[in-house]
Amino acid sequence: MAKLRIKFENGEADRVIEFDPKDAPFHHDGRPGSILDILLGHKIHLEHACGGNCACTTCHVVIKEGMDKLSEAEESEEDMLDKAPGLTPTSRLGCQAVVEDPNAEITVVIPRFTINLASENRDDS
Amino acid sequence: MAESNPPPRSSYIARVETFFDHTDDTRSLFLRLPDGFKLKFSAGQFISILIPLGDETRRRPYSIVSTPPQSDLLEICFNRVANGRGVEWLFERVVGDPIEFMGPFGAFTMTAPPQIETIFVAEGTAIAPILPMLHLAQSGPHASMLLLYTASSQGHILYRKELENLAAHDSNFKFETTIHQPDLYEHLYSDVNRRWVAADTSRARQFYICGIGKSVTRMRDLLRSSGYERREVHYEQW
Repeated sequence: MAKLRIKFENGEADRVIEFDPKDAPFHHDGRPGSILDILLGHKIHLEHACGGNCACTTCHVVIKEGMDKLSEAEESEEDMLDKAPGLTPTSRLGCQAVVEDPNAEITVVIPRFTINLASENRDDS
Repeated sequence: MAESNPPPRSSYIARVETFFDHTDDTRSLFLRLPDGFKLKFSAGQFISILIPLGDETRRRPYSIVSTPPQSDLLEICFNRVANGRGVEWLFERVVGDPIEFMGPFGAFTMTAPPQIETIFVAEGTAIAPILPMLHLAQSGPHASMLLLYTASSQGHILYRKELENLAAHDSNFKFETTIHQPDLYEHLYSDVNRRWVAADTSRARQFYICGIGKSVTRMRDLLRSSGYERREVHYEQW
């Protein structure tokens, strides 16, 4: 079984999911077996404003352990990550990073706010 | 099991003010924002609509067709697709119905009139994020712009009158429409390859490409591998 530990930057208690990657998809958004797919399938919310289509950065996560157990980032993901605030060398988009190793142990941090390039501006004047 | 969170982004409630059927399977909804509320956005961005389906809420993105930089009436445009439960839910909305959304989101944007030659490529409803870019471009001096727009039938060339009007008032904007089935993008790919890769050595132009499926990234790869700057090849794949 693979193990995914989720740390929340907002201080919420860690969660740990044990799963078999062969059971993917777990949900219907994001690539099957992706971090987004796994989290949503286990009732853990991760924002995904574009529906998990690699068209925004709201599912930005930071991998703390197990980077090499994930699928390689494709050019579309890298293009999008370039625009993500708070980018780190181990940033991934949750909708694109697929857990492939059935024995993987992965730790991800969900940033407090995965704010997009421009979002939620309002003018009440 | 209760859902664990980071705190959800704030969402807004708009109401369906009116709708327009472009064809029997393609509709625009016009969403009125609450009193005094104007959404600021960049041309090309989308809103994420919260669609209640059964015991869950799905997030589905819809490009904002309205003209930036802000509006209190948002137009979205969509068409029926196989197994598209979210779209069916939207088709079932009637005037006055509330629609909850978040946003705007997205990095497929234009923020100022382009100062280098710009080629837009779109098919069907993928014209939605590009139309506001054309309006933005015409707000000031800009370089030449060409739109290649293809659809499965003449009726599915959306916003034709608006495009004709834009072209009539702007000598720096032209558009070409083509009808192709079933692979709309195959023709576009060949056209782009012939005109701006094989037959032209200049790489001083930018592209905005929007469509469905792998054909979009295939065109991206063609352009970038032929010498166009990575940052000058903008794309959005649905």
